[in-house]
Amino acid sequence: MSTIKRFGMVIDQERCIGCEACTIACKIENNTTDYWIKVETQGRAVKDTPEGKFPNLTMNFLPKLCNHCENPPCIDSCPEDALQKRDDGIVILDQELCTGCQSCLTACPYNIIVFDDESNLAGKCNFCAHRVDQGLEPFCVICCEGQAIYFGDLNDSSTVISQLKSEKNSFQLKKEEGTNPKVYYIPPRPKKRL
Amino acid sequence: MMENSEDTKLIRTACPAHCGIDCCGILAHVKGDRIVKLEPADFPDERDRRICLRGLTSLDITYHPDRIKYPMKRVGERGEAKFERISWDEAYDIIIKNFKEIIEKYGWKSIGWVLGGPGAGTTKFGAYLRLASLTQSTRVSAWGYGDAGLPCGSRVILGHQFPYMHLHGEFWQRKYPELLMVWATNPAEAMPLQNMRKVMDAKEMGTQVIVVDPRFTVTASKADDYVGLYPGTDSALALGVMNTIFQNDLHDKEFISEHTNGPYLVRTDTGKMLRGRDVDEKKADAYMIWHESSNSHKTVSRSNIKEASLTGTFNINGIECKPVLQLLIELASIYTPQRTAGITGVDEDLIIKLAKRIASSKKVIFLTHMGFTRTYHGDISLRGVISVAAITGNITTSVSSGYIPATLNWNPFLKAIPDKPSFHRIGILNLYDAVISGKPYPIKALWFAFINFLNQCANSNKIIEEFYPSLDFIVQTELFMTPSARFADLILPICSFLEFSDFMAQPYPNIQLQQKVIEPLYESKSDVTIVSELAERLGFGEYFKGSEEGLIDLIMANRTFEGITRETLKTQAVLLPSLPEGASFPLSFRTPSRKIELYAEQLYEDGEALPVYLPPIEAPITPGDKKYPLTLINGHSRFRTHSMFANVESLLDLNPEPLVDINPIDAEKRNIKTNDMVTVYNDRARTTLKARVSEGVKPGVADITEGWWIEQFKEGSLNHLTHDIINPIQDKIYEPNMHMNDVAVEIIKSEGERK
Repeated sequence: MSTIKRFGMVIDQERCIGCEACTIACKIENNTTDYWIKVETQGRAVKDTPEGKFPNLTMNFLPKLCNHCENPPCIDSCPEDALQKRDDGIVILDQELCTGCQSCLTACPYNIIVFDDESNLAGKCNFCAHRVDQGLEPFCVICCEGQAIYFGDLNDSSTVISQLKSEKNSFQLKKEEGTNPKVYYIPPRPKKRL
Repeated sequence: MMENSEDTKLIRTACPAHCGIDCCGILAHVKGDRIVKLEPADFPDERDRRICLRGLTSLDITYHPDRIKYPMKRVGERGEAKFERISWDEAYDIIIKNFKEIIEKYGWKSIGWVLGGPGAGTTKFGAYLRLASLTQSTRVSAWGYGDAGLPCGSRVILGHQFPYMHLHGEFWQRKYPELLMVWATNPAEAMPLQNMRKVMDAKEMGTQVIVVDPRFTVTASKADDYVGLYPGTDSALALGVMNTIFQNDLHDKEFISEHTNGPYLVRTDTGKMLRGRDVDEKKADAYMIWHESSNSHKTVSRSNIKEASLTGTFNINGIECKPVLQLLIELASIYTPQRTAGITGVDEDLIIKLAKRIASSKKVIFLTHMGFTRTYHGDISLRGVISVAAITGNITTSVSSGYIPATLNWNPFLKAIPDKPSFHRIGILNLYDAVISGKPYPIKALWFAFINFLNQCANSNKIIEEFYPSLDFIVQTELFMTPSARFADLILPICSFLEFSDFMAQPYPNIQLQQKVIEPLYESKSDVTIVSELAERLGFGEYFKGSEEGLIDLIMANRTFEGITRETLKTQAVLLPSLPEGASFPLSFRTPSRKIELYAEQLYEDGEALPVYLPPIEAPITPGDKKYPLTLINGHSRFRTHSMFANVESLLDLNPEPLVDINPIDAEKRNIKTNDMVTVYNDRARTTLKARVSEGVKPGVADITEGWWIEQFKEGSLNHLTHDIINPIQDKIYEPNMHMNDVAVEIIKSEGERK
């Protein structure tokens, strides 16, 4: 077991009910105007509508947030060093240093960094580093209605999230980009039809 | 949990919002006199720690710029929302003056307290009941604005107000079955924490989850399989399921004999139960069975019940009789899979598979709620579902183990002075006639508390044009200028839940204190304070000593809460007393026969002795066969609790306006696309809003989620379209329900309105 922490998140789509409590929780905790977590109705242009023909339907939700990539392309794109990867793997966007050039928005393959026109600053999920440093979980984790979000040290094989990541067909978004996200998803389980 | 720091105080409270049973524990962070943050509070069982997106935004209600800040009297016409600030003393003077005038002419009886759903709140409801009891005025029961259908059905078949503990008490105790039937409820949005989390926990433990619903809800999306039926056809589906079960002899005869009135004989000539007196038995009132081995009739007894015939036709002293189960089998025999499919719109094979799965599962839990009982015959729909549970042996004791459900000391509220008469009671749907036509007696003044009456009750135009003008005096306690408040003569500002204390026996098996976190803002007061101050002026002050805290102590005065005080609850939720391991209680029902009544003889003349299928009163079952070919239903949205939170900006950002969901098949016929403005109409009204074309509703069905405020629609509103037709049988059983999911409409694209 490594002594260096590597914080990550596992989001279980089976338990995500698409309620957007995470979206609201994040907005409140970080006092943002834009959303740092957005919940998509997976593969659907119109939110909260299922896919298929009635009654043979499916609907799944995909909460998207900064992936805290192992190789974060946003960091190299920032001319002001406002983006930094901490030793524990959390990728921080320090709004004190941000000048609003928006180059990180283009660099992020996940299109997840937002820009606030009013403050002229970029913003994104910092894994609630201010809470993590106090030994607390990110606020979205404790506010998740479905208990679908798990947070912890991926380098510690005894943590719940390490086990979930290795046991349940977890996947990363846009793996082909080579960014190695620290946010993993577990797909919905197969249905036991009548 | 964060510790108290020098400048931040942490206070535990609980959210009383009217999802009712969720009742999340909330930890408020207070700096100075301002709440800066809310987070989920700890519970004895950490799995109960939770909050929802609405609860998270509660501060947006407390600190909402539109809060009503002081008492106001109307200066314009009703509905114009022209009000003038007055003092509390003036407000009380106006109330007393108006009450006096009305009492002189019509008596206290003509003053009604319309108390909406208090959510998990108790004393704010109790305070009004107590004052109504002391004054012998009229309590207007709000069960009927959507929640009376379920008790009507439950009272007939189980003899209890609610069927929940019998149907899914074990589910609440986290004992998960092989099969979970989620019947016409969408906990993922309406009860995400107390119910939906457990649905998903159950699934993780291997439970197969089936959802029955006209909408492919979020809950349905999580299920293993989905049964999409037409609204108002639940009892047909239940009979179709019973058909397959009986045809294949899969019913649980032992359970039926022991716990239902299935073996009891019914006279085919009168439809009444055969009684001892009919056959010259000593026990004149006793129910009779056909005793199989002796081939004779016998008075029912504990020892012979298992030997009773469940089927057959018998001639007893010239009276033709059949056991109840025989009658149920005969009824179900008509509902072949083919016929049931024709009525419900559910595939024949799926009905057969569903029935076989229910019958073959070791344990089935039926999770249900109010939605499907909001149709004209919704009470029978519930009886249908419970009948399926009963014939397969899936009704459990209300308390099998675990924690003892809380019993609150309601007596001092329901009857403030034991040897004196208490309040009169009238159902909210009966109130329309009482106000408009003076039947059964005239109601001249109404006090509305925690209810957005105009917005949430049926047939808005009737309320505006006939109901309000018939009233001499209207008081509303409110946080906001709701569509209903605009019609009040007097508006009294109330606190948000963070500004007063109340007691909550929720979520099972916990009890909590909704603890005052900050002092009331502006000139607002809690309902309890208002009632106490009014009572003082009416000479009943001694009954409200201690105001909020006094009433909390009063309602907690029951041995369920022995050793638990208001003080204990200030820092923690407390678990209810638990039963010893292995303790079990007999199944008991408060029906006339003390059994699950598959057959209710008192409803024979009404044609409803059995859980028959009767078509909805208005909703078209065969699309296209009526002037208004679409069924309008109203689901619940995760963004609102009824009409609460409809004005919270952070939620409106995610869900900005009312939508009507219609299926692509219906949309195409009408040339409607997503985001088109459309008009939903019937003979009562026109409602204009945006369309969302979605496979999530069954063809022939349109869904507008309830709770949007009237002014949020371009024209009309959801309840402009609904009707106030009374089902007289529900009126007789308990209280008539509003049938908001039994409404026929047509939809057209609004010309030149596309955004």
